[in-house]
Amino acid sequence: MTEITPKEITVTDFAVREHRSLWMDAWRRLLASNTARLGMFIVGLFVFSAVFAHYFWEYNPKIDLDYSLKLKPPTLVANEEVPSVHIFGTDKLGRDIFRRVVHGGWNSLRVGIVAVGISLFFGGLIGLFAGFYENINMTFVERLTLFGLTGFMMGILSAWIAAQPIQAIFMTTLGVAAAYYKDFYPDSLKRTAIFALAGFLLSALPGFFISFTVGWVVGVWGALTGVLLSRPLEGKFFSNVMMRLMDIVLSFPGYLLAIAIVAFLGPGLSKGMIAIGVVGIPVYARLTRSAVLSVIQKEYILAAQSVGEAHSRIIFRHLTPNILSPIIVQTTMGLANAILSAAALGFLGLGAIPPEPEWGAMLGDSYRYLTSGAWWAVLFPGLAIMLSVLGFNLLGDGLRDALDPKLRT
Amino acid sequence: MSRYIIRRIFSVLPTLIGVTFVIFMFQRLIPGDPAVAMLGEHATEENVERIREQFGLNRPLFLDREALVENDIAGFFDSQYIRYMKRLFVLDMGESIHRRIPVAETLGLRFPATIELSLLAMFIAILIGIPVGIVSAAKRNSLIDSVSMVGSLVGVSMPIFWLGLMEIMLFAVIWQWLPAGGRISTGVELQEITHLYLLDSLITGNFEAFKDVLSHIIMPAIALATIPMGIIARMTRSSMLDVLQEDYVRTAKAKGLGRNLVLFRHALKNAALPVITIIGLQMGTLLAGAVLTETIFAWPGIGRWVYDGILGRDYPIVQGGTLVIALVFVAVNFFVDIMYALLDPRIRYD
Repeated sequence: MTEITPKEITVTDFAVREHRSLWMDAWRRLLASNTARLGMFIVGLFVFSAVFAHYFWEYNPKIDLDYSLKLKPPTLVANEEVPSVHIFGTDKLGRDIFRRVVHGGWNSLRVGIVAVGISLFFGGLIGLFAGFYENINMTFVERLTLFGLTGFMMGILSAWIAAQPIQAIFMTTLGVAAAYYKDFYPDSLKRTAIFALAGFLLSALPGFFISFTVGWVVGVWGALTGVLLSRPLEGKFFSNVMMRLMDIVLSFPGYLLAIAIVAFLGPGLSKGMIAIGVVGIPVYARLTRSAVLSVIQKEYILAAQSVGEAHSRIIFRHLTPNILSPIIVQTTMGLANAILSAAALGFLGLGAIPPEPEWGAMLGDSYRYLTSGAWWAVLFPGLAIMLSVLGFNLLGDGLRDALDPKLRT
Repeated sequence: MSRYIIRRIFSVLPTLIGVTFVIFMFQRLIPGDPAVAMLGEHATEENVERIREQFGLNRPLFLDREALVENDIAGFFDSQYIRYMKRLFVLDMGESIHRRIPVAETLGLRFPATIELSLLAMFIAILIGIPVGIVSAAKRNSLIDSVSMVGSLVGVSMPIFWLGLMEIMLFAVIWQWLPAGGRISTGVELQEITHLYLLDSLITGNFEAFKDVLSHIIMPAIALATIPMGIIARMTRSSMLDVLQEDYVRTAKAKGLGRNLVLFRHALKNAALPVITIIGLQMGTLLAGAVLTETIFAWPGIGRWVYDGILGRDYPIVQGGTLVIALVFVAVNFFVDIMYALLDPRIRYD
C-alpha cells in the first residue's frame, strides 16, 4: 500500500471546480438522454438534407416528368423495364419519389420556421407585456400611453362614424388628461360624471355639425369612453383585453382555423405559413404570460425594481432569460406542429402549389392510386412527415427534461 | 358555485361574439363578389344587383354611417353583420350555393356522424391512453416506460391522414377485411333514432347493422384516436408521477397498503384532474381533425362537408361548418372549466 504524503494533495483540487454555466449543464443532460440524442439525430439529418439538397443535387420540379416511368414500384438496381434506379419508386408523372421527398424537406422546414417565428414573436411579446404589467405598477409615462391609446382606439370609432378625424385626437387628449389627473376625485362618482360629460361633449359637438342623430350617437359613445377612462385602469386592464383576444383565436380548434384562413386567402405556401403562424400566437402568448407570472414575484425582479431600472430593461434583461426554458421547449414542439399542419394543408390541396415538392401535397396527389396498388407513392412522403415531426417532438421532450431538472429524479 | 357558473357564462359571451365576428369576416376576405360567385361569371348586371339586394350584400359591413347622417337610427344598425347575427339566432345559416339546400338542415344530418366518430375515437384514446400512462408511471424508467413513452410520442407525431391511408391500404386493399369508406353499406336496414348508428343499431337490437356500422367506423376512429391517445398517455404519466411523490402516497405505502390500492385509490383519483382537462381540450381538436379523417374515409360528417365546401368555393357551408365546430369547442372548454371547479374544491370561484 502506498502512502500519500500531504505534498501530493494539491489544495486547488478541492477549492476550484471547473466553471459550468446553467446552459452547459442543460446541454450535458441533453446529451445524456437517449431519446434526446435520437431526436437530435433525426432533426440534424432533416435540417441538413433540407438545407443542402439544392447545393449538391439540383432539382427543377417544372421539367421533371417522364410518362414512361409512371407509377413504378421501388427498385434497387436498374433493369430493362426501368432503366434508372428509384429506391422509393415513382409517382403518377414518373417523378422519382426519393428525390422529391429530399427536396420537399426544405418546404416543410421553411413553413415550420416562418410559422413558429410569427407565433413566437407576436405571442411572446404579448405574453411578456401582459404578464409583466399585470403585476407591476405602471410608471407615469406608461400610464399616459395606456390611457392615450385606449382613448384613441375608442375615438377612432366616433371619428369614423362622424367622418371627423379630430374626434380621435380629442379622445386621445381626454385619455392623457385622465392619466395625468389621476388623483382628481379618485374612485368617486364625481370623477366618473365629469369624464363622461367631457367625453360626451368632445364627441358630440363635432358630430352635431354633421347631423343631429350623428351627434347623439357619437355623444353616447364618447360618454362611454369617458366612463372607461375615468376608471383607474392599470396593467391588469391591458392584460385582460389582450388575453380575451387570444381566447377568441384559441377557440378555433388548431388547424381548422388555418384551413379556413387559407381556404379564403387562396392556396400557396406563404399563405399557409402566415395562417399557421397566426393560429399559434395565442399558445405562445399564454405560455409566456404564465411563465412571467411564475417568476415576477422573485427577489431579483424586486431588486431590479428597487435600484430603479427601467421597465424595458427589467423585461428584456432580467425577465426574458429566466423564462426561456419553457419557451424553447414549446418552440421545438411548435416546429413539429407547424410541419404537421403544413402537411395537412398540403394534403387538402391548400398548401404548396404543384409541381413544387411538398410532402403533404405529394400524399394528396397520389392517394387515389392506392387502390391500384401504388403504396410506395403514399408510404414514403408520409414516413418523411412522421419522422421529422417525431424528431422535433423527441428533441423537445429531451429539452424539457434537460432544462427543467426538477421534473426528473 | 352558481355565481361562478353565471360569471363564466358572461365571460364566454365576448368569445362567442368574437367567433361569429371572425367567421363573418371570412366572407369579406374572399376575393371577388359573392353575388357573382352565386350566379356564375355569365350573370347579367341586373341579376347580380338583385342577388346583392336579396342577400343584403349592398349593405355596409358593420354600421351604416350614411344612414345616420340622414337621421335614420334603424338604418344605422341595419348592416350585414347585424343581419348575419339576426339570422344566426333563428338558426338560419343561408343555403348552399351549389345545391340550394339550407346549411342548417344539412348540418343537422351530418353533425351526428361527426359526433359519433369523435366520441368513439375519444373512447378508444381513453381506453388505451390512461392504462398506458398509469403503467408507465408505476414502472418508471423501466423498459415498458421508455417504449410506451416513445410510442405515445409517435402517436402525437402521426399525420392522421397518412395513417388513415395506410390503414386503407392494409385492411381494405391488401387484406380486404374492412370497407374503405362510408358509414354503412347500402342495403343494410337501420331505423334511425339518435342518428348515432352504433347506438341506433344496439337500441333496435339490429346486430347485423351493428356489425356493419362497426366495420365502417373502426378505421377512421383509430386514425383519429392516435394523437389524443398519445397526449392522454403522457398527461396521465406525468400527473401520476407528480402525485406519487406526495407525502400521502408515502404514508399510504408506509401503512402497508397494497401497491394497487395505493396506485388506484390514492394516486389515480388525485391525478385525474389534469387528465380530465386534457381530454376535454382534445375533444375540440378531434372535431377539427375530423376534416382530414372524414375526407379520406368518405365519412359523411361535417369535416368532409366543409372540405367539399372549400374545394367548391361554397362559402355558406364553410362558414356554417366552421361556426358549429368552433361553438362546440367553446362549449366543451366551458364545461371543462366548470367541471374543474366542481371536482377540485381548492379552486376559488372568484
